[in-house]
Amino acid sequence: MIGMWSRSKKGHIPMPHTNRIKVGYLVTAVAFLAVAISIPAFGSEYTAQLATDILSFVALGYSWNLISGFAGYISFGQVSFFGLGAYTTAVLVNHFDIPWYVAVCCGGIVTAIVAAIFGPIMLRLRGILFALGMLGLARILTVVFSDWDYAGGAAGTTLPPELNPNAVYIGMALTALCAFAVNAYFARSGLGLDAMSVREDEDAAGALGVPTTRVKVITFILSAVFPGLVGGLIAWNRSYLDPASAFDPTLDLQTIVFTLFGGIGTVWGPLIGTSVLMLIGEQLLIHFSSLKLALYGAVVIATVLMFPGGLVSLLNRFGLLKRKLILAPPELPLGNAPVAIDTGLDASDSLLEVRDLSVRFGGLLALDNVSFKLRRGETLSIIGANGAGKTTLFNAITGFVQPTGGEILFRGSTVSALPVIDRVHLGMARTFQIPRLLSELSVWENVVLAARHGRQKHQPVQHAAWVLRTVGLDQMWLEPVARLTPGRQRELELARVLALQPDLVFLDEVMAGMTKEEQERVRSIIRRMSDFGVVGIVCVEHVIAAIADLSDRMLVLDFGRKIADSKPTEVLNDPVVIKAYLGEVSDA
Amino acid sequence: MLAVQLLINGVLLGGTYVLIAQSLNLIFGVMRVVNLAHGSFIVMAGLFTFWLSARTGLSPLIVLPIVFVVSFVVGGLLQPVLIEPLMNQGRRAELLSLMVTFGLDYVLVQIALHVWGADYVSLPYLQSTWTFGAITLSKALLVVGLFAVGIVALLYFGLNYTSFGKSLLAASQSPVGAACCGINVRRVRLFAFALGVALASSAGTLLIMILPMAAESADNLTILAFVIVALGGLGEYAGVTIAALLLGLAQSLAGYFFGGDVANVLPFVILIAVMLLWPQGLRRAA
Repeated sequence: MIGMWSRSKKGHIPMPHTNRIKVGYLVTAVAFLAVAISIPAFGSEYTAQLATDILSFVALGYSWNLISGFAGYISFGQVSFFGLGAYTTAVLVNHFDIPWYVAVCCGGIVTAIVAAIFGPIMLRLRGILFALGMLGLARILTVVFSDWDYAGGAAGTTLPPELNPNAVYIGMALTALCAFAVNAYFARSGLGLDAMSVREDEDAAGALGVPTTRVKVITFILSAVFPGLVGGLIAWNRSYLDPASAFDPTLDLQTIVFTLFGGIGTVWGPLIGTSVLMLIGEQLLIHFSSLKLALYGAVVIATVLMFPGGLVSLLNRFGLLKRKLILAPPELPLGNAPVAIDTGLDASDSLLEVRDLSVRFGGLLALDNVSFKLRRGETLSIIGANGAGKTTLFNAITGFVQPTGGEILFRGSTVSALPVIDRVHLGMARTFQIPRLLSELSVWENVVLAARHGRQKHQPVQHAAWVLRTVGLDQMWLEPVARLTPGRQRELELARVLALQPDLVFLDEVMAGMTKEEQERVRSIIRRMSDFGVVGIVCVEHVIAAIADLSDRMLVLDFGRKIADSKPTEVLNDPVVIKAYLGEVSDA
Repeated sequence: MLAVQLLINGVLLGGTYVLIAQSLNLIFGVMRVVNLAHGSFIVMAGLFTFWLSARTGLSPLIVLPIVFVVSFVVGGLLQPVLIEPLMNQGRRAELLSLMVTFGLDYVLVQIALHVWGADYVSLPYLQSTWTFGAITLSKALLVVGLFAVGIVALLYFGLNYTSFGKSLLAASQSPVGAACCGINVRRVRLFAFALGVALASSAGTLLIMILPMAAESADNLTILAFVIVALGGLGEYAGVTIAALLLGLAQSLAGYFFGGDVANVLPFVILIAVMLLWPQGLRRAA
């Protein structure tokens, strides 16, 4: 099990991809179609209706799984898209005499457009705000459609009766199959990995060049289309539609219960959860239908508290349905050394220039007119006591904090106004003071994610393999990150940054709290950075002894001001610096 | 004069919203849990008050302490089972607790439906009005508004001037820091959740006197409380009070000029509008 829902830190080592898995998906799809087609052919009307209902929730579950399972944005309002699809179908059929199956497809298109418009707005909200924003959207739509007489108003509208229920059934089966296919694609593709990186740590993903907004919006659109189609099919199937049933929040409850019970964020969870609960649960509950929703509520609680990974996580314990590593070849390839990128700079040109940079947090001036230059090929270390503004300086240069004044030039052009991701694509990359790895994923996926968005994105697998081998993490490439020692996690973070193949790296206290051996491993990686195409290093460090001999220059910050900037030997003997570190002795 | 009357009505309605919102805020502040079952506690208390009052003829103001005690106990029993186990889940706790309270919401609403039915009910209490010149005030609204404000004032006093209140505030600022100072954070969380549920339920008992309520109102009330808290700033007690009064005012104006439908959907519209116009502000608030 993966994601925020897994409880055990240990986890199982997932298996790399093989062709057998592709065959597995294919066999499943064929078997699914065979069963699906045989139900209306041989089953009773009741079975056909039950099968339609199950398939509708399978499709809804897979849609919800995309945005809430893979991308980690819990939504309580996907029913908005169900209702929009249903109403599009009803309006087109009733007012424009369009054949129902065309109308249903139009419903899918309309929901995709609505999601594309609302997605960028709604997805600016995180966590609870997004969840409740979506709930609010569904409520607003209920009111809007209640007052819109053209679409039927509060009393609802009828559609022409369906004479052949099998047609709806087949439409539903196809929708469910497509929704499943998209989930299967997410579970093994780079796009799916990008979505999971948003779930694990959105800011860190942005720092690795993942276009988080685009990934979220694409996922959101996909998770809206299928409810739109299902809504249209159900409206046609029932021949009746009103705002209360179109935007019924209990549809979301059922979708969430089924998916959670099966296993959120997994390829099989929605199918298994929906089938089990609807085949067993709904039959058992036929005599207690008034308590059904209360029991579903209880199932949500029990699942989250007792087995947040759902049935799939239980099956995982027996080695079944384990997650497959994304983009992982069966064996780690040797990989290719990257082709050097021509920065077009001579040794004397400045790679980075910071002019009069200031950052103010409320009344605190965290950075006060700091200026410095970094020439091509240089290593600059920034030292200073706690609170001197070192990390703020990093955040301002890499785009995580908006400076209140000053300018930042990278390779001669200003980057002051660019968002983080653009600076990454220009060739600036950073690590974080506390490693921000995608902790529920594997070593391999962390590195290949960066490789996908760096300068070797045309061959991410080969490049990631080369980086892992060169850094020395090739023995543990399949390990879940949570199993690595803190020292190894630092190395992985360095590997991840280097997989971007940046010109300039910012290392934020990469050696803090490490043993001597661990420091030595990191130091050897820093020494070999030019092998990875790096032509400039800026590092913040507390362990001065470990960094002094690697630095060409040292810059000292004290209360947000630059108090020294020259060769390490000179800086460390500077009385002003010593005073800033050790404090005034007594004559003041 | 009409303006003055609308203003007074709005502020009194806002007074009850302060109680609804601060109880949600209290739980969020201490546990970082947005209780999605908030509205269902309000509704259950309201329906219970209606039922008890109709059967025994007791004044709802006498039912109020009963509701407070019972719901405090219920909250105290639920917290260790549902919320406390999630507290060591780190970053995931927020979303996990969202799912748990989402499930709890359905359980409670369905129980309410089962026991009291789906009809909207309202408790006729103090139906008369006071007239001061051109201003006519509903006695019920006045009593309810004053009671709500009184309870919130007690909460403020309790939080800021008692040692347990201070440890509660400390635990909401930094659980680890509070624990290091010898505060039993676990007990604080238990107490805060129980108190939050008790305050929400008290709000239900008061609201049933001025608003018709049904089991299905639960989610609207949750959203209402959440919108106020999001506007005022999650965990900010003063900001939330101001936001509640403003929303009460806005709703009573909207109800007067555009009718009840618009007044009911107003919180959602504000929620979306805030997202559109000040997404930064909302995010900072969270």
